[in-house]
Amino acid sequence: MDPANRTWQRLRKDKAGFMGLVIVLAFFLIALGVWSGILGQGWSEAGGGRWEAPGKAHWFGTNLLGQDIFQRAVYSVRTAFEIGFVVSVLSTLLGAILGALAGWYSNTWADSTILWIKGVLDSIPFYLFVAAVAFALQGKPWAMHLAMIATFWTTTGRLVRAEVMKIKSREFILSARTIGLPDLLILFRHVLPNTLHILFIQSSIAFVAAIKTEVILSFLGLGVQDGVSWGLMLAESTQEVLAGHFNNFLAASLMLFVLLMGFNLLSDALQEAFDPQQAAL
Amino acid sequence: MRFALSKIAHGLLLILGVTLISFTLMVWFGPDQTYSLVGKNATPEQIAEIRHELGYDQPFARRYGGYLAQLFTLNLGASNSSGEPVSQILKRTVPVTLALMIPGFVLGNLLGIALGLLSAQHKGRWIDRLVTGLSVTGMSISFLVIIIFLQVLLSTPYGLNLFPVRGWQVDDPGSYLRYVAVPTLSLVFVTLGYNTRFYRAVFVEESGRDHIRTARAFGASTATILWKHVLKNSMVPVLTRIMFSIPLVVISGSLLIESYFGIPGVGKVTFDAITSGDQPVLKAVVGLTAVAFVLIQILTDFIYKLVDPRIA
Amino acid sequence: MTCWGKLNPVNLFRYQFALLSAALAAVLMLTACDQSTDKAGPANSFTIYRHSMDGAPSSLDPAQASHIYANFLAVNLYDTLYRYKYLARPYQLESNLADGLPQVSADGLIYTIRIKPGVHFIDDPAFPEGKGRVVRAEDFVYSIKRHFDPRTRAQGAWLWQGRIVGLDSWKEDGSDYDREVPGLKALDDRTLQIQLISPFPQLTHTLAQGFSAIVPREAVEYYGQEFAIHPVGSGPYRLTLFNSASAVLVRNSHFREEPFSLEAEGYDPDMHGQFGLERLEGRIPPFTDRIEIEFIAEDASRWNAFIAGELDFVKVPVSQFDQVLQSREPPVLKPALAEQYHLISNLESGFVHTDFNMDDPRIGYHPDPEQNIRNKALRCAIIKAFDWQKRNEVFYYGIGQVFAGIIPPAAPEFDTRQDPALVARDLDGARELLSAHGWHTGNLPVLEYGFPANVTERQMFEQFRSFMGEIGYPADKIRPLTFATYGDYARAFLNREVMLITTGWTMDYPDAENTVQLFFGPNSSPGSNSANYSNREFDRLYRSSSSMQASDMRTAMYRNMNEIVIDDCATISGVSRRMILLWPRDLAVLPDRSFTGGFFFRFVAAAEPDTGEAPQ
Repeated sequence: MDPANRTWQRLRKDKAGFMGLVIVLAFFLIALGVWSGILGQGWSEAGGGRWEAPGKAHWFGTNLLGQDIFQRAVYSVRTAFEIGFVVSVLSTLLGAILGALAGWYSNTWADSTILWIKGVLDSIPFYLFVAAVAFALQGKPWAMHLAMIATFWTTTGRLVRAEVMKIKSREFILSARTIGLPDLLILFRHVLPNTLHILFIQSSIAFVAAIKTEVILSFLGLGVQDGVSWGLMLAESTQEVLAGHFNNFLAASLMLFVLLMGFNLLSDALQEAFDPQQAAL
Repeated sequence: MRFALSKIAHGLLLILGVTLISFTLMVWFGPDQTYSLVGKNATPEQIAEIRHELGYDQPFARRYGGYLAQLFTLNLGASNSSGEPVSQILKRTVPVTLALMIPGFVLGNLLGIALGLLSAQHKGRWIDRLVTGLSVTGMSISFLVIIIFLQVLLSTPYGLNLFPVRGWQVDDPGSYLRYVAVPTLSLVFVTLGYNTRFYRAVFVEESGRDHIRTARAFGASTATILWKHVLKNSMVPVLTRIMFSIPLVVISGSLLIESYFGIPGVGKVTFDAITSGDQPVLKAVVGLTAVAFVLIQILTDFIYKLVDPRIA
Repeated sequence: MTCWGKLNPVNLFRYQFALLSAALAAVLMLTACDQSTDKAGPANSFTIYRHSMDGAPSSLDPAQASHIYANFLAVNLYDTLYRYKYLARPYQLESNLADGLPQVSADGLIYTIRIKPGVHFIDDPAFPEGKGRVVRAEDFVYSIKRHFDPRTRAQGAWLWQGRIVGLDSWKEDGSDYDREVPGLKALDDRTLQIQLISPFPQLTHTLAQGFSAIVPREAVEYYGQEFAIHPVGSGPYRLTLFNSASAVLVRNSHFREEPFSLEAEGYDPDMHGQFGLERLEGRIPPFTDRIEIEFIAEDASRWNAFIAGELDFVKVPVSQFDQVLQSREPPVLKPALAEQYHLISNLESGFVHTDFNMDDPRIGYHPDPEQNIRNKALRCAIIKAFDWQKRNEVFYYGIGQVFAGIIPPAAPEFDTRQDPALVARDLDGARELLSAHGWHTGNLPVLEYGFPANVTERQMFEQFRSFMGEIGYPADKIRPLTFATYGDYARAFLNREVMLITTGWTMDYPDAENTVQLFFGPNSSPGSNSANYSNREFDRLYRSSSSMQASDMRTAMYRNMNEIVIDDCATISGVSRRMILLWPRDLAVLPDRSFTGGFFFRFVAAAEPDTGEAPQ
């Protein structure tokens, strides 16, 4: 059996991981449904009464304005995926490339420059940085994404750098260099793949972190500006919860929880499935 | 010696970079505080006057240069909103933030390491699954939700009513424990899932290494020696994480807690400054954070050398 | 290196667990011990009042007291010449530091005011030998001059700008405090004289504002910029603590002794009989020794703190009205709460409205007269489509007071017999207007609705969007223009960059002049006329009425101006919110958040020590 098939077999056997995959795919389908205009389109219509209980017309009830909570929660899946994908993919990619370069060319000016940038970005407290970027970009919709990418990549970068520095001194790498293979080829074809487990873990953490950060940012007014997200729903719910209206809160946190749970299970399983040196501890 | 000098030079470059970026973002492009300070029915002349008083009409280089000079001489100025000297603001808010965040931070990390090790040791078995499951659950719940929930549960008559709802009237260890309890619990709840998961992944990865297999092959008992090796060799990522999450936790993390629980700490003051554009406070906090961070980095590098000789 | 090996993680884990359990046990024990001392008061008769505010002042300098939070503190730490009577409604001026109401010359231009003798500033190192000196008329002169000194960064100058003889030129000449201002003089230590350029009937009201509070020159010069956090005044309280979370005020033992008189304060047994104020007759305020003010902007926290017994006053968050009130009109507490708390419902001294930026040719004035008419029709249609009842119901619990125009119910000139049809929703009328003037989905302009980014404002925006949807305004043509803070938002609309501006206005004094000036042409941005409205007839009426004393004719002129604004459809206006204020039954007080805002602190009284186990 070839490695890919082997991986797939391992994944299928891991029940929890498989469930995670199913969950993520299901949510992804929902997001596609919203993108293509089939689902969740009535998120902004204030059709119902205030704080209606769940019923036939509104499956999760309504919020203060009479908007359908279920529709809003479904639309938020799209928002979540947009933010999660963009931020996790781009930040992990950036971190991988810069970290690898820094680790490979460690203790040269390239490494120092990258480390310097990393250090600078890490020294600025996260929420302050995001707020600052939001102001500087005068509230354009990408401000939040940019700010997150600019800070999330550093963790990945640092780990990749450390890992690359360790791998660099391993035998098979040394022999590749002795043979005379070009540096960058070795770096990206042989060294970096050995950091995949870090990248997967980090990108799943970044996805989750992006969505959770959006919750806080939306609460502070710096997040999603038009549209709806779980963050905005939770921000709304902070008032409602005291008045005994939990639907908004439950809908948003439940959907959020399930998606994140699914993602985490999946990435756990992927990590085990990919790991070529799986210890039998 | 050369090592130390290069580190210091490196540190200075870092401070330069941080100050430049934050100055550009937060001060140059930042909110114009003029409009918070003008009264009703302001005339254009009054607005221009205030802008002049706040120094907005000077060119970039001059303002940035002035900022660096201020930082060097530690002449931090006074808040534009309240007139209180920045050094005084810091003196009264930083200790509060530290007292608030350290217990939760330390506890969250220690528990995370412990649980991570436990989980890695029993990888695949029910303990592992339980711990992993709980930590994933923890990671999937928003900070906001936890804060509200805990406040209602622990501090109101709707719940257990054991602790104060908010505030920070700390005169003695007893009152300190009362005021810090709920924030600490919130912080632990929020960070524990992440910490456990991360540490577990690190320890598992480390356990898969050749030298561990070798040790096992030589008959070392799973429990003691493997942990000795695993933990020791994982010190790099572990320490990295701890050290580098300090500024994140202390300033960023304290913001929400301080707002929600009404605690007069540095996170809240800084955030207010950035949204109102109160430059002196902002410049001081950002500058000093940079310096603190640089020190942490230098410290971490030294510890790296001690713990892992492989890193040249 | 070897020391790491000794860290046995199993032991570590168990050790941590034990430590955690021990810590939790300790906490529980300590809290059990501390419970008793926190909520009950000390055995002696020292009284504490714990107030809460839904915002915080950043500066305690009276010259910067532009918000209600700062105003509250300014009027307690310092003396103003005048204040408002504690109980009388409608609000009536009362002398505070001044000795009697001003003597006004026949032409209304010269005000002569005497101040009470023997009033001292608190002791402070700023004074020689640290002893507070007597307050003199010259101090008032200095305090007002400060507003015209750029170095003060004062915010109250607009009240007296262009009104007092020689004051504006004093500023132009460099704000030299040793130079006299002809229209603002101290005739002797106890007499001051103000000379106006033209009649200003509301002058005395401005002397009850925190802005006009009296500060000593020595302290301002001694503390410099820090004066904002180091108040030195002659008010009923002095400050012992101030930060972003709380402030603590302690009784000023040197405050002048003026026995409390129910009659002088406007007591009415029908309105005030239930609050237990009668026994305060003849006592000397301030009645409370210490006031602890908590600044809690988050509704949830504030409410939780109050319900947990940590606060003696709360402005109930709207989201709690359902839980708290048994009936709305009139507001009555649920029985369980009514046993413990008093309630009053206060109409705010101001209102909330959404202005059209008349400077924006897409919606406001247009150089082409035909387009101008079409724009007006569009505005009127939008106003007709706005569902005030729903807005009131959803956001103000239905107890806000909706009215048409710019004279809110808190103003004495408010027209109680205003036609309710002016604010009733008229979808048919709106649609007719649109079609009659050639507006349809295709050519409607994109509306940019500005607001600071918080949950409530965002929900109001979404509600507005859904209102407009019912007259065919496409949802994607109504866009949010968000700003991270109110300051940022203010910058934008003061620079005329926002198309639809939603703001609130808090009245500075109970006179409609304060709100009609919001639409006076010359006050346009960056002034307070954010709608940038300009109407010749309106401006003419304003100029004539602003120098008139209160009279029927003046009221008629104000109402006339109101109608002009309504006809021009310049603003979607407005609603005055009603606040529900709660405090425990064992406190004898009538709190207020408007004109007497802050002045009532000195009259807060705790229950008698012998009436049961009252905390204070």
